Amino acid sequence: MSFTNSKTTRIVRSITGTDRVALVAGSVAAVCLLGAFVSFLVGSSLTAVFVVGFLLVVGYGWYARQALAAKGLAFLATVSTLLTMGLIIVFVLREALPAVRYMGPIDLLLLTGEPMWRTGGEQLYSLAPAIVGTLIETLLAVMIAGPLGVAGALFVSEVAPSWLRAILKPGIEILAGIPSIVFGYLGLVVLNPYFASSSAFGLPGLGSLLAVGLVVGVMALPTVVSVAEDAISSVPESMKQGSLALGATEWQTMTGITMPAAFSGISAAVLLGVGRAVGETMAATVILGNVTDLPTPIFDAFDNTTTLTSLIASQYGNASGLHVNALFAAGAVLFVTVMAISVVSQYIERRMLRTLGGER
Amino acid sequence: MSDAHERRLVNDDGSAFERVSAAVVGLGVLVFLYATASVFGVTSFETEIAGVGLATLFGIVLCATGGIVIVLGVCSRLGWVDTTPNETVGLPVSASFGVLGAIAGSLVGSQLLGGGAMVWLPLTALAAVSLVAVSVLPREDVGSTVPAGGIAIVAGVVLLGGVVGPEWEWNPANLEATFHAPLVVGAMIGLAGLLVTWAAATASAGFGSRGRQSGAYLLMGLNALAMVTIMAALVAFVTLKGASKAFAGIEIGLGVGPEIVGLALPIDWPFVMNVSQGIYVDIPGVLPAIMGTVWIVVGTVLFAVPLGVGAAVFLTEYAEQGRFTRIVEVTTNGLWSTPSIVFGLFGAAFLVPRFGNTNSLLSGILVLGFMLLPLVLITSREALQSVPDEYRDASAALGVSRWQTIRSVVLPAALPGVITGVILGVGRIAGETAPLLLVMAGSPFPSDTPGVFSSFEFSTTPPFVTNDALLTAASALPYQLYATITAGVGAQDAEAFGWGTAFVLLLVVLSFYAVGIALRAYFRSKLHHE
Repeated sequence: MSFTNSKTTRIVRSITGTDRVALVAGSVAAVCLLGAFVSFLVGSSLTAVFVVGFLLVVGYGWYARQALAAKGLAFLATVSTLLTMGLIIVFVLREALPAVRYMGPIDLLLLTGEPMWRTGGEQLYSLAPAIVGTLIETLLAVMIAGPLGVAGALFVSEVAPSWLRAILKPGIEILAGIPSIVFGYLGLVVLNPYFASSSAFGLPGLGSLLAVGLVVGVMALPTVVSVAEDAISSVPESMKQGSLALGATEWQTMTGITMPAAFSGISAAVLLGVGRAVGETMAATVILGNVTDLPTPIFDAFDNTTTLTSLIASQYGNASGLHVNALFAAGAVLFVTVMAISVVSQYIERRMLRTLGGER
Repeated sequence: MSDAHERRLVNDDGSAFERVSAAVVGLGVLVFLYATASVFGVTSFETEIAGVGLATLFGIVLCATGGIVIVLGVCSRLGWVDTTPNETVGLPVSASFGVLGAIAGSLVGSQLLGGGAMVWLPLTALAAVSLVAVSVLPREDVGSTVPAGGIAIVAGVVLLGGVVGPEWEWNPANLEATFHAPLVVGAMIGLAGLLVTWAAATASAGFGSRGRQSGAYLLMGLNALAMVTIMAALVAFVTLKGASKAFAGIEIGLGVGPEIVGLALPIDWPFVMNVSQGIYVDIPGVLPAIMGTVWIVVGTVLFAVPLGVGAAVFLTEYAEQGRFTRIVEVTTNGLWSTPSIVFGLFGAAFLVPRFGNTNSLLSGILVLGFMLLPLVLITSREALQSVPDEYRDASAALGVSRWQTIRSVVLPAALPGVITGVILGVGRIAGETAPLLLVMAGSPFPSDTPGVFSSFEFSTTPPFVTNDALLTAASALPYQLYATITAGVGAQDAEAFGWGTAFVLLLVVLSFYAVGIALRAYFRSKLHHE
């Protein structure tokens, strides 16, 4: 209570301390901005009037009280990130709501009786195939990107000589930039025919979760390597030196000291890889056939199904009515999952910084 | 441990032991690399060398190296060479052997013997338990070499005995896939080669902790090599496939190119300078897509950089570190990891209905701008935080106000970091496809480019400024590639067009990354010199 009180008094004092011109200009700007936002939301052409008004006031404020105007604008920029997040949550959930109401939350996520997805006639939308597809894809991708990525990070940060590290680090970072659609095209043109050929798996159709998992795993690899490398190299040198001075080999130091100390950071890196794999859209859309059926049996990674992301990307173009809402529901599931992963990995990272006590 | 080095100095017997194990390491790495290459279809096991099939040759090599590795282990156990083995190989290694044994046991039981669960279940358990026992019970030198060598010998015998011939296949009842010989043989040889190499590497450093380090380093080095090779191969492959299409028909000479602002360019580059569809177009190009990407880059930078840098300034310079800054941080990181398709959905629900209910360039720019915002914010914040506090203190001590300090001291010092962050972020945005499908995409093969400059119109009634080009659908390089995949280029060779587009896209995105990373390295080295 006293905390809020002192805060209020501080705000009141800072308001009374500001001169009148700035106060008036600030409130006019705030009103204009609010007006612009509201009229944009309702789709009114008044938006432009409010925007022009805001710009005029800001221009005057910049001329008259530059320092204050700069601070105010910087604050608005900060608020804009919060606003973006808020708008995403509101709009995605609002559009998803009709589908949730129509199917019921349980059936929407878990209905597994045939058919699971029907857009005409008696409409039916079950996200179960997409969820299973996303799960299998993510699992495969993490099985590749996790261990190999962490081993790669360890190699880059601890084993490689400095000239090699000078090549590897930027190289890996550049490779993180290869667009996912290029990976998808490679998977479609190279991997799919290979898996269908009689020298590999002889799959009946083009596209399989295995191909997607492989491609997404390779895609997530550079991300995992860079983030895990940051975590490993942030372990204080003194800890490693202490271990080496006791006669431990470098490998013993890595497994006994460095890895445990960087464990949180490494798991945050792997979680980040998980997040990328879950949210990866284009590779999955292009490689998969996007059929809305469960794989049979359910763990069959060679089967052709869909993921949450590719479901949206492949069907949004010719969807209307409730179908669109169902796709928004898929987006909402995706959003909630990734947000949970992000928050958990941030918590882990913060804990690591606390326990290591390293400088930030 | 401490006398290990001394003993190695005076001991000559060890060198033969070391030389043999190093030779096995080399041979094993070769086997592994060749097997991997054959899995990817670069090489084939059908090849014959001196009248002997390659599969047979590999069988012999695997048997031989497996045998040598076992001999090395036994020599060490009998004390004929000086080594420093531990008591056991440890749980992780023996567990890995156990898993391998379980897989082999179940496959042999269910496929070769063709038995039901009564046959393969006990066999699986037996194989797993015996491999764990063989590896974990004896001293490390035997425990690591005998199972590895044994598996290699079994793999070699399978190859030599023709159990898995070229026509061999295995069709598991409940999976969609049929496992064909080339892939299975390649995987088997690769795995056996890897095991033997690891065991030999462990032996070459005399087992013990040094041996483990040598084995682990070998595996990690191979892993890094594989990673770099795969990535380099990807880029090389796209270049190989796409460059010829992308560079086809280039003419250089005065006035051969298309006119820009009344001046003819001295170069005609059809793939980059032609539109994708039209009556007079001989070579369809990706100019509309390139222009779309250019406008996206310009627009997102104009939208996101002021917001991102402003927010970063507020968070580092003005705000007290507390609950508010933490919430903003969590939100920013959350936005950073939000899937691009969700941004696309957001744009489709929020922006598209407010811009005339059609896909538009402006929606695309704004959605990608929302995606760029957290990237710019995070990197700018890091750059601002890395400006030393001494700078601020010195400025404040001179009586300079806080805003003046930020404007003339902090921001210039942080500028390099901000710029590299923006460039790297733009690289990511330029390759982003998914949101464009939902908010921006129009004709898959557009016949004109968005003329943003020429379509500004001003009026005295709100909304004062209109721009039709911004409010109509447009293309972009990544979307062009997607459109090629889904639609094809009509009569033209669709796949080659796709590779060409992929090549140009890769070129654009990777140059952003390369420039960003090079700039950062340059600024860092400058900082260290000062």
